[in-house]
Amino acid sequence: MGSSRSRMDDIPHAQQLIHETDFSAAHLLRLHQRFKFLDKYQTGELRPRDFGAIPALALNPIGDRIIGAFFSPGRETLDFPSFVRILAHFRPTDPNRSRDSTQQELANSRTRKLKFAFQLYDQDRDGKISRAELLQVLRAMLETQVVEEQLQSIAERAIQEADLDKDDAISFDEFRRIVFFFFVFCLQSLEKVNIDHKMSIRFLK
Amino acid sequence: MPLRTGSAGFGRSLPERGLLLLVVLVVLEGFFLPHGAASSPDVSHQENLDNHREADVGHNFTKKAFPVLSLDYHHIQTPFEISLWVLLASLMKLGFHLIPRLSGIVPESCLLIVVGLLVGGLIKLAGEEVPPVLDSRLFFQCLLPPIILDAGYFLPIRPFMENLGTILMFAVVGTLWNAFFIGGLLYAVCQIQPANPSDLHQLELLPCLLFASIISAVDPVAVLAVFEEIHINELLHILVFGESLLNDAVTVVLYHLFEEYAGVGTVTVMDCFLGVISFLVVALGGVLVGAIYGILSAFTSRFTSHTRVIEPLFVFVYSYMAYLSAEMFHLSGIMALIACGAVMRPYVEANISHKSHTTIKYFLKMWSSVSETLIFIFLGVATVDGPHSWNWTFVTVTVILCLVARVMGVVGLTFVINKFRIVKLTTKDQFIIAYGGLRGAIAFSLGFLLKKEHFPMREMFLTAIITVIFFTVFVQGMTIKPLVELLAVKKKQEAKRSINEEIHTQFLDHLLTGIEDICGHYGHHHWKDKLNRFNKKYVKKCLIAGERSKEPQLIAFYHKMEMKQAIELVASGGGVKLPSAMPSTVSMQNIQPKKPPIAKSAERALPQLTRGREEEIRKILRSNLQRTRQRLRSYNRHTLVVDPYEDGFNELLIKKQKMIDLEKKIKEMNNYLTVPAAPPDSPTMCRARLAQVNASVSVSAKCRHSISTAILLSGRDTDFKPAQQQKGNRICEDPQAYSMKPASGNVPSIQVDLASPQSPESVNVIDEFRRANREEDDQGLVMRPRHRPGGPNKKTEEEGDTAKDQQKLMRCLSDPGPSAEDDEDEDEPFLP
Repeated sequence: MGSSRSRMDDIPHAQQLIHETDFSAAHLLRLHQRFKFLDKYQTGELRPRDFGAIPALALNPIGDRIIGAFFSPGRETLDFPSFVRILAHFRPTDPNRSRDSTQQELANSRTRKLKFAFQLYDQDRDGKISRAELLQVLRAMLETQVVEEQLQSIAERAIQEADLDKDDAISFDEFRRIVFFFFVFCLQSLEKVNIDHKMSIRFLK
Repeated sequence: MPLRTGSAGFGRSLPERGLLLLVVLVVLEGFFLPHGAASSPDVSHQENLDNHREADVGHNFTKKAFPVLSLDYHHIQTPFEISLWVLLASLMKLGFHLIPRLSGIVPESCLLIVVGLLVGGLIKLAGEEVPPVLDSRLFFQCLLPPIILDAGYFLPIRPFMENLGTILMFAVVGTLWNAFFIGGLLYAVCQIQPANPSDLHQLELLPCLLFASIISAVDPVAVLAVFEEIHINELLHILVFGESLLNDAVTVVLYHLFEEYAGVGTVTVMDCFLGVISFLVVALGGVLVGAIYGILSAFTSRFTSHTRVIEPLFVFVYSYMAYLSAEMFHLSGIMALIACGAVMRPYVEANISHKSHTTIKYFLKMWSSVSETLIFIFLGVATVDGPHSWNWTFVTVTVILCLVARVMGVVGLTFVINKFRIVKLTTKDQFIIAYGGLRGAIAFSLGFLLKKEHFPMREMFLTAIITVIFFTVFVQGMTIKPLVELLAVKKKQEAKRSINEEIHTQFLDHLLTGIEDICGHYGHHHWKDKLNRFNKKYVKKCLIAGERSKEPQLIAFYHKMEMKQAIELVASGGGVKLPSAMPSTVSMQNIQPKKPPIAKSAERALPQLTRGREEEIRKILRSNLQRTRQRLRSYNRHTLVVDPYEDGFNELLIKKQKMIDLEKKIKEMNNYLTVPAAPPDSPTMCRARLAQVNASVSVSAKCRHSISTAILLSGRDTDFKPAQQQKGNRICEDPQAYSMKPASGNVPSIQVDLASPQSPESVNVIDEFRRANREEDDQGLVMRPRHRPGGPNKKTEEEGDTAKDQQKLMRCLSDPGPSAEDDEDEDEPFLP
């Protein structure tokens, strides 16, 4: 089993991380194992090319954006605590837990999740999804099958739909409104990422 | 005032009364005709005898007068009665919605059962035998498939797949639990009454289990009927409804298993094992059969582009074949139908025309709605009809056990499921799921199928089944709505699907897949992504014809939305210009080979022509256009009339796109033109400048854009859209913009046609041409002489006019009237 290869003692600041991100110990172990697996050269830090080596991620149309989201601007490396903190965004929200309510917002709160997604769009980090940024995303997701004109009209339309303050861009509040609108009621997709304790165990078997 | 309201009230109620009368008539008719139907065997026999006698007489060559009018009811009896029932059902449905308060309180299904009871009662009162309406064959082969196909075809795939685990858990484990719990306890209850010398004593375990397996399955028809009215949130709806669909496999297997062994009386471990295997075969086999037919249907629809009228038929026939094929092997027909509908839908929708899609939608809704109505009415009739054997103990115990088992099953299963679910099911959700477990006609039909020889208690079973159905449909069905409101369960949000939603959903899907990959966890999203890739790479190419196979989902969705909006726009009258533009687009395209020469010659000749001649040419053009349009409408059984909104849709899209570009360009152009052109010295200068602008635009953008810009500048005709009209107005109000008008005024719109006769804009030109002509009739004749002189004069004169006049005026100016003498040299920059 995984725990034989990766022990709690190997993980730096394990307790602090558990407290901070609310991951379980087993989960942390599992993530650490994965971290070590990705870290081919055993440097203790991940670089963008380590992520690029994941074959499925290379196929992902927004793969480079996702990789980019792991690295704070200006930094080329990622240590384990940061890795875990980023992934903590994708823990399912636990509505029943109240002990942390007094603390600052956890990474898996709905707003933080949305903020994370928003920043993937907002590459220049100006707090807005501009038309160009939206076009980039569309172009990546639709690959090359579509004429530029069509893309533009789609982007135009999307911005028109969402843009409340008529600044020709989607701000975070507008983004939250539209995304919230459908995913809370129908899809709840962001909450669907399942890196839950049980699921990981099942995967490890 | 009171008088008026009174009369209004009467006026409103009059049609309703008429309807009521009609309903009564139909009921009476249905009441007298089964009279004939019931006694038909005797009568027909009698008649046969008569016929024989007549034939004998005929041999004697005694000539009888030719019967001018004869009555032969039996000739048409069956279809006539079917139609009558359908008519009755439809009228009932109609009637309930005319009484607003009633349909608000009581669910339709309850009312329909009551109607059925009344009709059955009337028939019985007349002393006739009630026709065995809810025959199992009829039910399973005719009434059930449309409802299930409707459900399967319009199944919301995404929520369904996301909750598949939960649904399966409820459908399989829940139903099993229900069946064994009810069956076991029922048997126990029957045994612990030694004092009671009833026949319950003789009831063995297996019949009990069989009965329980029939009664434990949640019924999709009843669930649909009730849940559609309470507008519950999507999660709960899909959970209960999905369960009711998928538990069919369990029911089928249990039913056949227990029926098989009820005669033998013993069940070995081996049989249990075989039962499990059988369950897998029945369920997966059903899905497989459905999927095969679904793919066949999708493949067939790939080739229907030339015979659009039979497109919808393929969907229905293939689905029905899937159902029948599955039933043939005693596989789960319901699962086959669901799989078939769900598999074929994305591909079929990409292949068929928009109209066929609408047809499919309407047909499915119509059939399922009529079927549902009939089922409930028949349930009522069958209740009156059936030989009942009321046993208080049995019935009461059954009802109570059903409730208890359902609640326990749901609570227990949710406890387990919640450990795996990310969105946990709350207590309220559990309550609604438990309470929504309605039983319905499937259970009744299965009970009806039981053979009297094997099951001496058949009547008692049927009575108990009917009681449970009535209890769930009436008590639970009627109270669930107030309860949902009382508990403040989240209702369904009528979210309008937006393009943003589509984009962000896809984006988030990609994001989650990426994160899963990073974590090295191969979950839901990973496999979905794999499936999508496979679908895009291979399946779509095989099943979707032509271009659209490569069309990403987002684009397809975008098209759909644009289409809807365009239709809405036209329907609301907001886009007054659209309808006028669209048909002409189509008709113009149809006369492509003929049109350009005419148009060209007309325009080339223009300068030399007199006004009268010009008129004539325009008339010729106009009549030509109209005639081609009429030609299109000619009747053809195998094709539909070409729908301008459908076939011209691409043009519409292009046009729309262009509009956006135009608006932008106008903004730029305005700046460019107005600033330097403030004093328009001479028309030639202006023209040169415009040509320059055009050239620059055509460099920067596509040639078409520049042309349409030219049209707009020259005509500022509101050919495209109200939005543009606004733009035009704005420009008009801008005093600086006037300065460029002389220039534009001298640019005749027709030149554009010369430049690109094949482009869609040519149509606009013609359209504009016509409209300009019309305008001219209105006022152009009056105004033109005044403005004939050079630009600056014109400007001063126009300064005082209102914006509206300006616009009209500009349209006049755009008219290629006598002022278009020098359009030949203007053409040069545009000619390729």
